Amino acid sequence: MEIKNPFFKKYWLPSILFAVALILPLVITQFWIHVFTEILILGLFAIAFNLIFGYMGQLSFGQAAYYGIGAYTTGLLMVKANWPFLATIPISMITAGLGALILGCFCVRLRGIYFAILTMAFGQLVYFIIFQWYSFTGGDNGLQGINPPPWLFGATSYYYFTLIIVTIASIIIYAITESPFGYTMRAIRDNTERTEFIGINVYRYMLINFVISGIFCGLAGALWGPFNRSVAPDLCSWQHSGHPVFMAVMGGPHHFLGPMIGSVIFTFLNAFVTGFTEYWPLVSGVIIIIVVMFMPGGVFGVIKQKGYFSKKQAVNNTTNGVGH
Amino acid sequence: MNNNIILKTENLSKSFFKYQVLTDVNYELKRGMIAAIIGPNGAGKTTFFNLITGYHTVSGGRVFFRGKEITNWQRHKIARIGITRAFQVSNVYPRLTAYENIRQSVLAQQKRTLNFLTPAERLAKKETLELLEITGLAPLKDTKAGILSQGDKKKLELALALASKPDLLLLDEPTAGMSSEETHETMELVKRLNKEIGLTILFTEHDISVIFGYAEKLSVLHQGVLVAEGTPEEVRQNKEAQACYLGEEI
Repeated sequence: MEIKNPFFKKYWLPSILFAVALILPLVITQFWIHVFTEILILGLFAIAFNLIFGYMGQLSFGQAAYYGIGAYTTGLLMVKANWPFLATIPISMITAGLGALILGCFCVRLRGIYFAILTMAFGQLVYFIIFQWYSFTGGDNGLQGINPPPWLFGATSYYYFTLIIVTIASIIIYAITESPFGYTMRAIRDNTERTEFIGINVYRYMLINFVISGIFCGLAGALWGPFNRSVAPDLCSWQHSGHPVFMAVMGGPHHFLGPMIGSVIFTFLNAFVTGFTEYWPLVSGVIIIIVVMFMPGGVFGVIKQKGYFSKKQAVNNTTNGVGH
Repeated sequence: MNNNIILKTENLSKSFFKYQVLTDVNYELKRGMIAAIIGPNGAGKTTFFNLITGYHTVSGGRVFFRGKEITNWQRHKIARIGITRAFQVSNVYPRLTAYENIRQSVLAQQKRTLNFLTPAERLAKKETLELLEITGLAPLKDTKAGILSQGDKKKLELALALASKPDLLLLDEPTAGMSSEETHETMELVKRLNKEIGLTILFTEHDISVIFGYAEKLSVLHQGVLVAEGTPEEVRQNKEAQACYLGEEI
């Protein structure tokens, strides 16, 4: 069957995913609604992280810092200042963006492994500040009682709210990746040096991208607190920074929706496997080994290489199994 | 300073640790010329380009572009002021298509890379297609640059440099890896650009026929020192230049 509608032809996959996401709460239990809310929040986190990894070609191992800053901003404003949830969301994005601006100034001077280590070091710095600052952040007790407003109290309503926010945020991020700025990121990823010689201030562009990523990590964090009714310093830890890495690698960092698919796999398995065994990290470890060894480029990499999307792309992708 | 001089270096030197690779090069290039720098491998030709374009920091001496000192400027600033280069080993964006490669450079030139919300595919179409056309890459526009042939990559390299609309174009062995036919086509294109839009071109090359066929001015570098300079005919007669190309008839 030939698809006529040009919009649907181009965006059939996200359209289908969105439709599925819309009807999902009608057919699943409350436990799984919680799981899918988590999938969406972590999926946004991973998509924001992938601006740095998949598009800019640098591995950040400290994005949880900005996620955590977002979560704590919302938590603190709601618990200590009684702000309404909706009003805290833009503030969380701003504080996370500011955090990314300050720490990013140093990180984007470096490349490769040094970039990864410095982002991780700064991530841990944020973690320890939150962990130690009892009077303000509650230290390792975290913050409790971050209750969403009554109209968002139910699992289903919070799920739909999250779905709307994550969808809007994803559309904005997607537009950015398709803009001249987005292509400049791909250019920096492919050949940083060359990009300087066509007259682009690479440092400045990388910093802007780092901040954009931080802002959306902060948004994901802001959604987390009221969902979980609490926040804890673990949200900023380097283990938590590893989750979007895992998701992007598994789903495919070279496709916009790859990290979201990775989040589906990761979170779903997490919820599913922990029902049987406490050795979930072992299972996730095995999965990551299989992905890295046998399907570089993740789920989307395999699909693209086999040419399920289009013949021409398959030829183009034979070189390295990736798109963008 | 003479307004006609687009590029000038004063005692330009470069050393890597204790190795002196370029020594006191005084060079002048007139606007609108096609000039070549020749010399055996390791003579310092690429280093000379690297110093002008900010790829390496200068150890000694100064670089002037249109009378303005640009010594040790940042790379993107040098590109913005009007000097672009094409690299010896093609240096393109392997995972972008030929079209996207060129569009990227066009967008940078148009200062539109800080546009966040307009889809890039709607922008700079005309300019990009035009560059694809004149470099003969139009049939390959949707091919990823990483799987282009060596010769096509060099053409793309040239297109990227041209997209920046430079005043001075530095070409580092522009025809390396090309067939003789492609070499001819490329150099004819360079010559046409020179004649039609007055683009000043400085290139390095090993191919003697290219050097003598296209350059109006030749400079010979040998072990980092500028040993001879002049019209192709003058250099051909020059004893020192001959000595550098020992055994090779020039």
